[in-house]
Amino acid sequence: MIERQNEAEVEVTINGKKIIAPASLSAIQAVWYAGYSRVEGVGCLEGVCGSCSVMVRRKDDKEVNTELGCQTFIEEGMKIIFLGFPTPTHHTYQLTEIQTSWEVQGQFHQIFPEASNCRACGGCNRSCPKGISVEKGVKLASLGKFQEAGDLFIECVMCNLCMTNCPERIAPNHVGLFSRRVNAYFHIRPANLINRLEEIRQGKLSVNKI
Amino acid sequence: MQALNPELLNKVLLNEDHRIGANFKKYLAAGGGEGLKKAFDDPTGIIATIQESGLRGLGGSGFPTHVKWAAVAEQDMSGRANKDKYLICNGNEDEPGTFKDIVLLEETPHQVIEGALITALACHINHIVFYINPDQKRSINVVSKAVSQWEKSELYFKFTQLMHQPVEIEVLASSGHYIGGEETAAIETVEGKFPFPRGRPPFPFEFGVHGCPTLVNNVETIANVSHIVKNGPSWYQQLGLGEAAGTKLFSLSGDVLSPGIYELPMGTPLEELIFEYGGGMLQGKEFKAVFTGGPSNTLLTKRDLDVPMDFESVKQRRSSLGTGAMIVVSEGTGIVKKVAEYVNFFAHSSCGQCPPCKTGTYYIAMLLDKIDTGQGRQADLEQLLNLCEILPGSGRCGLIDGAVKVLDSSLYHFMGEYAQALKD
Amino acid sequence: MNSRISYQEALRQYQAKHELPLPEAALSMDELLKQFHPDHYQDSLTTLQIGPNKGGRCHRQLADVLQADALIDEADLAAAKVTEVDVLVVGGGGAGAAAALTAARKGAQVILATKLRLGDSNTIMAEGGIQASVEREDSPQAHYQDTMKAGHYQSDRDLVAEMAMDGPDVIRWLIQQGMNFDLNEFGDLMTRRPGGATANRVVYYRDYTGLEMMRVLREAVRNCRNITVMDNAPALELMGNESGHCAGAVFYSTTKHFFSIIKAQQVILATGGIGRMHLNDFPTTNHFGATGDGLVMAYRLGAKLRELDSFQYHPTTVAYPEHLSGSLITEGVRSSGVYLLNGLGERFVDELKPRDCVSAAILRECQEGRGIQVSEQQSGVWLDTPGMELRQPGLLQKRFPKLFHMAGRANIDPRVTPMLVYPGLHYQNGGVVIDKNGQTSIPGLYCVGELSGGIHGRNRIMGNALLEIISFGRRAGEDAAKYVHGRGHKKTSLEHISNIRREIVKAGLSMERKSPLLFPECAHFSLENEKI
Repeated sequence: MIERQNEAEVEVTINGKKIIAPASLSAIQAVWYAGYSRVEGVGCLEGVCGSCSVMVRRKDDKEVNTELGCQTFIEEGMKIIFLGFPTPTHHTYQLTEIQTSWEVQGQFHQIFPEASNCRACGGCNRSCPKGISVEKGVKLASLGKFQEAGDLFIECVMCNLCMTNCPERIAPNHVGLFSRRVNAYFHIRPANLINRLEEIRQGKLSVNKI
Repeated sequence: MQALNPELLNKVLLNEDHRIGANFKKYLAAGGGEGLKKAFDDPTGIIATIQESGLRGLGGSGFPTHVKWAAVAEQDMSGRANKDKYLICNGNEDEPGTFKDIVLLEETPHQVIEGALITALACHINHIVFYINPDQKRSINVVSKAVSQWEKSELYFKFTQLMHQPVEIEVLASSGHYIGGEETAAIETVEGKFPFPRGRPPFPFEFGVHGCPTLVNNVETIANVSHIVKNGPSWYQQLGLGEAAGTKLFSLSGDVLSPGIYELPMGTPLEELIFEYGGGMLQGKEFKAVFTGGPSNTLLTKRDLDVPMDFESVKQRRSSLGTGAMIVVSEGTGIVKKVAEYVNFFAHSSCGQCPPCKTGTYYIAMLLDKIDTGQGRQADLEQLLNLCEILPGSGRCGLIDGAVKVLDSSLYHFMGEYAQALKD
Repeated sequence: MNSRISYQEALRQYQAKHELPLPEAALSMDELLKQFHPDHYQDSLTTLQIGPNKGGRCHRQLADVLQADALIDEADLAAAKVTEVDVLVVGGGGAGAAAALTAARKGAQVILATKLRLGDSNTIMAEGGIQASVEREDSPQAHYQDTMKAGHYQSDRDLVAEMAMDGPDVIRWLIQQGMNFDLNEFGDLMTRRPGGATANRVVYYRDYTGLEMMRVLREAVRNCRNITVMDNAPALELMGNESGHCAGAVFYSTTKHFFSIIKAQQVILATGGIGRMHLNDFPTTNHFGATGDGLVMAYRLGAKLRELDSFQYHPTTVAYPEHLSGSLITEGVRSSGVYLLNGLGERFVDELKPRDCVSAAILRECQEGRGIQVSEQQSGVWLDTPGMELRQPGLLQKRFPKLFHMAGRANIDPRVTPMLVYPGLHYQNGGVVIDKNGQTSIPGLYCVGELSGGIHGRNRIMGNALLEIISFGRRAGEDAAKYVHGRGHKKTSLEHISNIRREIVKAGLSMERKSPLLFPECAHFSLENEKI
């Protein structure tokens, strides 16, 4: 362990346990620093895998926010609770069962029938730890604008917080991922790639294992 | 404990004479309309009368009614383009265990309407909305019928004259969502929108329906108004036992022999309601606890059976009267299961605006279900306590607070039962 | 290490300059590696005394886990639940997902078991991109040659040739799962050049290639009817059958706290790398679960391993502030032209040389007193992003949003302040010996992904890891599904554990250590405590 010179320490409460640790640590690092075991809700520790959702209440603040535990720096008086990863969504589909790109919008409403019932509560936006305009994404997808919708979800780590928060059971992050996937599945046809695939198919290329 | 005294039961609001549905003739013959007539004589003195009587919000808040009224009455309308004022008579009643407003609306609509008219007179309100749960189709029909009877009457004509402006009365079905019972959510519905609670401030008395001063009162509160004005504030005071004033409609349910609605003096001891009027415990099982004021409140146990059921006395036992619903639980019923049921209800009913509420109730419900089905561990129980600590006050309305309150109280009184349900 | 330059001092003296000349290389590449690359630290190496690689060279810390005792006894499995399935996939990263999907779509019933959750992996963190020879002026031949050269010609030629030919089809397959790639205005795949390659060959999606890939594959797995996912279930040990065939594995649920057994006709291990073992005390870029579990389990069952003394240290991982230690800064940053500077503000190496070379050069600067000392133990060199900002304003922020995100957490603006970097343990070059279908020397056992060896020789080139996992994941999935015949194993056992124990005792080694590690030490996990 590298020495910490003059690092300010703070007291926080994580899952009900009082912990004193340097202020530059994340919630997960603080738990380990204090000697507690934690192997659930830990993943990349970098903010891209969505495994470490937490609820955070800052000192003297009325608000409780949902954030990623590996990206939340501890502050004096902070209260943190690790949330368990919720079960997968009830929606299922196979891209291969959508015959043509003309049918995507129709199929979308069969796969995600709740999407048109969005009550615009804004809860998904507020619960997103990446600041994505989730509700807007759902609306765009409902209108068949899958490219636009998908672009909103570039940074989505599929933490499922918006899914948990949705009172209409829409699973907005899965709507976003569907939008991204249909875009690639139906529309990405790079000439350089296809050209190369053709050459290989016709046996024009091989490797000489020198 | 006093012996069952039929004199005290159903004396005012649920009096036989008033349970006649939309029969205006019968209502007037039984003395209906006298309150309104008295109000005509002294419209500016109505609020003082209500203040003296000690009437408090009977839909759960216990808030002094005259304060709300005065706030609306005294609103400065000079700078406003829109000079309207609204009264929403709140009959959304969607919480498990409370079923009093439906009776008042369906069987005694006229006393409710008369009360609303007096309220409108006192506060210069020109829009009255009877806001009713859409599942209560009979109530909606009856109240609509009753309203049209009033609108054709002489009393009503006099009323509009004194108001110096036309008054609009609307019978509005709410959206059917539990959250629609919250004041600001009701205002959203009246505006034609989804019942999302607004944050406060601003308060409804200064910024309500379409920005106008709005008074939201529960059906039972309004139902008392005509009787208070007719008989005077000290009559109302004397109805109650001890320091308390008036009567209360108690919704008794759960493991008792005779569940139902009981109108009794404020301050009637809880054990009397359960064992005298309610016929005692079902199947001879022992009393265990009562969800006081409904499922978004605290529990009371054996040692508080003697509590007088009025706002102040219940508060002293660290609980609150709420809507007057008393859900009784016997030794045969599991607390964990009951609380899980209620929290699931709240999780389902959360409107979605506030992540701590929607996600919070979801997690609490998930943990409770886990414990209730024998899959829970010590860590899960501790997590429930942690959630109780972090969540209160984090939502735009009180739903999350209610869910946490009932959970917290059940953990306090019945930790043993929770611990026993654990796997480890 | 006499005259050290402190971080504060170096920062004060630092000046962003437009252009800086590259000095003459004082040492040849081979000399540089031999003297400074951690693979050549003499006291880090040892000779294995038991198992299929007995007598072979191996990193000391790796040898400790390969030669350790098992975590369990037969007795622990007394009441364990038993499930039977056609194909068992262990590991929830890109390779595991690709294998599971392929096997399932060929008709096999699949269980995918993973130590954390599906998607928790090194795959999801990958930034650079995936190699495929799609440009006109490129070819699978060139891809093959570049790979062989970067690996110092130690790779298995057949494996590399197959992978190079697979490249374009892998990209097609990924697109068909719904994965996006960055395209130019004509819809062609955009490509960039990895360090040590002769052509632009890496296709990518922003600096989120791994995230894009993993979330698509994860969704595909969840939607696949023939795949059952078991989360939070680390594998503890493989099982064999009466004829030496791999027959399944033993698991422990970290959420439900019980053991379970899965019997399978074919087992595909895709458990990833060893970064969290912090070899030679280096910080690591790897995710939380990278503790080399599959290596241990395969070795115990008798699979041969290779290149156990070769690991890749990524040149640019964050060295300061400490809570970001080990975080990766993608090679793409150097590809775009950013310099590496020592404490004196000088360049000291061609930034686009292969990774082992650049890492060794950085270590040399630090060891010879020209590094920047930020604490007693930690030093580093500058990643000169401000210099790049002078040369091409705005480029960095556009291409590397993840870098800016991360620097922001340290209150550093990369356009103004250089980041302190140091090599971090990044990748296991070697691993389990496999054939072109991912099959090991043990029938019924496949190993794919970072766990397997022979593809990268002694040094991996950027973009080949993401290619390998899909290429060989699919191959193993298809092959495994072919050999599913409906007859279960007659008798399964953990006999091989007893054999290993006999060997350990006879070799005079300690029985105190247990493996696989399952989780890094910092997480304070102990199966013993769980057992109580």
